[in-house]
Amino acid sequence: MSSKPSRRLAIALCLTVVGIAAAVQTLAGAYEMTWRQALGACFDRAVWGHPGTLLRIVLGEDMANALGAGPANALDTGTLIVWNIRMPRLIVAALVGINLAVSGTIFQAVTRNDLASPYTLGVGAGSGLAIWLVLVIHPGLGPYLPVLAGLGGAVAFLVVYAIAWQHGTSPVRLVLAGVIVAAVAGSLQTALFFLARDLNVVRDAAAWLAGSLSGVGWPQVRIGLPWTILVLTLAFAGSRHLDLISLGDAQARALGVPVERTRFALSALAILAASTSISIAGHVSFVGLIVPHIVRNTVGAQHRGLLLGCLLAGPALLVSADVVARLALSPIQLPVGVITGLLGGIYFLYLMRRRRDLGR
Amino acid sequence: MNQTSKRPPISLRAHHLTVGHPGAPLPVLVDQAITLAPGRITALVGPNGSGKSTLLKALARQLKPSAGQILLDGRHIATLSARSLARSLGILFQDPGTPAALSVENLVRHGRHPHRGFFDDPTDEDDAAVERALARTGADVLRHQFLNTLSGGQRQLAWLAMALAQEPQVLLLDEPTTFLDLRHQLELMQVISELRDEAAITIAMVLHDVNQAARYADEIVALRDGKVVVSGPPAAVITPEHLRTVFEIEADVITAPDGHPLCVPRAVTRPSSTPAAPGGAGVAPHGGAHEP
Repeated sequence: MSSKPSRRLAIALCLTVVGIAAAVQTLAGAYEMTWRQALGACFDRAVWGHPGTLLRIVLGEDMANALGAGPANALDTGTLIVWNIRMPRLIVAALVGINLAVSGTIFQAVTRNDLASPYTLGVGAGSGLAIWLVLVIHPGLGPYLPVLAGLGGAVAFLVVYAIAWQHGTSPVRLVLAGVIVAAVAGSLQTALFFLARDLNVVRDAAAWLAGSLSGVGWPQVRIGLPWTILVLTLAFAGSRHLDLISLGDAQARALGVPVERTRFALSALAILAASTSISIAGHVSFVGLIVPHIVRNTVGAQHRGLLLGCLLAGPALLVSADVVARLALSPIQLPVGVITGLLGGIYFLYLMRRRRDLGR
Repeated sequence: MNQTSKRPPISLRAHHLTVGHPGAPLPVLVDQAITLAPGRITALVGPNGSGKSTLLKALARQLKPSAGQILLDGRHIATLSARSLARSLGILFQDPGTPAALSVENLVRHGRHPHRGFFDDPTDEDDAAVERALARTGADVLRHQFLNTLSGGQRQLAWLAMALAQEPQVLLLDEPTTFLDLRHQLELMQVISELRDEAAITIAMVLHDVNQAARYADEIVALRDGKVVVSGPPAAVITPEHLRTVFEIEADVITAPDGHPLCVPRAVTRPSSTPAAPGGAGVAPHGGAHEP
């Protein structure tokens, strides 16, 4: 097959994009740095040579104290900005990219629909509703917003499953049930919009619903990283089942796969990935839809390769989109979801023009 | 258990089988029985809606019977795990679909799923079974091609190879030739005959073409309105009387050059005739309304 060189090229491309975007994110911004300063900040001895400082930055004060870490060093401004703002934002962007891409890959297999996204089975609707409810009705729960948004998505997914269930489910019924729940939750969100008394609440909600990485830091890394590792472990373990369920229910059953149980388990895994991403960055659109598409065109339909591709292409897309979101209209930061939405639209326009079989 | 052919052929039987589609108010088949003899080819024939595909899907445990038992080599299939059933029984669907960007070889490898543990890598035995399946179906020349680039007949061979990689002792085929041209129909039927002769696989297939059934099957089971009307060797089933009661056609039955009965349809039977009772052995020779 001629796909081997193109695969290597794609891997190199992803790594290059991530590398360049990471460099730009570290150097540029309101606090300008030279190459030398940025490198010095990244490899600052005051951080690396001092476990107490490193632990307090990465794990947070509470956990570092619990581990008995020593006191932190005083740091340069450059080092502080790189370590407290720019570096965690890069890591969060990569985590969001990975989770959305993996979630989309799983949903596209489970629903056997290349146009499925992490938000297809009600997750976006449920978490969006949860976000509005917290911000408008119960602002006191604000600190728990990430968890509640993730939970809202999970609850909506269960409702979708309950609606779709009738002597078992089918991909089409699941997608329809997702549309139903999205319609109802969308209306309720619009209603809540008019109950908001404070314009800042509306702006907050808009940032969540558009998906934004401004203001993220190590706390978001600490929320996201463990779940991401769990999601990836389970997804790779289930990659053969993803292959089988993509063949169709009857075929998978004929090969000894317990179809309903497998479908639910895989969907729940995709929900976990989507909720992780939502709880740290809100609704970043289109990443979960286009990354699996692009990767499938490069590596084929085997899910082990697809998941590996997502691990590279997801971060590449999100990290570079975040560069644009952060710097294009500086000092105003756009939500990164605005950029991914634009890129997604353009990509699909290109696909529709180039590939006649799309949507047939 | 290196070679499928070394295992003795096994039977698949159903008793008092009542089965329908989930959510439908009435079952398609009520209290029916069927036996697939070990190492033989059984063809299920009948008009549209006669329940032949439903019966086949119930035998493959794709549909859950509301009553009755299905015994695979004497074991109740309802009690087998999904994986252990898939190690003994394979099925080829009428239109198995065309997953995009999947090569024939990778498809056939999926046939090894029921033999592999959750975290196991493929063993030499898995590789050997895949090679045997590819060779037996002639799909080995297609191994690196993507399914969506193949013709319907080639694709059907690829799916058959996947089912054979399961190394099943019983193989069920649901209208395997319906969408194929004559040459590919013949090719598929020859592969199926070889499976019986060389691998001692017990085979049942739903067929639309009674002449194909007469030529390739050892036993024919004819269904109508959810009942088994008549069953037996082709010469006993393919008769003008049975063609009238099962298919409502007037036909001559002649002997083909190879000795098999050959049905030559003349006209449709007027709708005054009544479907025959189960068993159907005592159908009146001159047709017309016949109450048991």
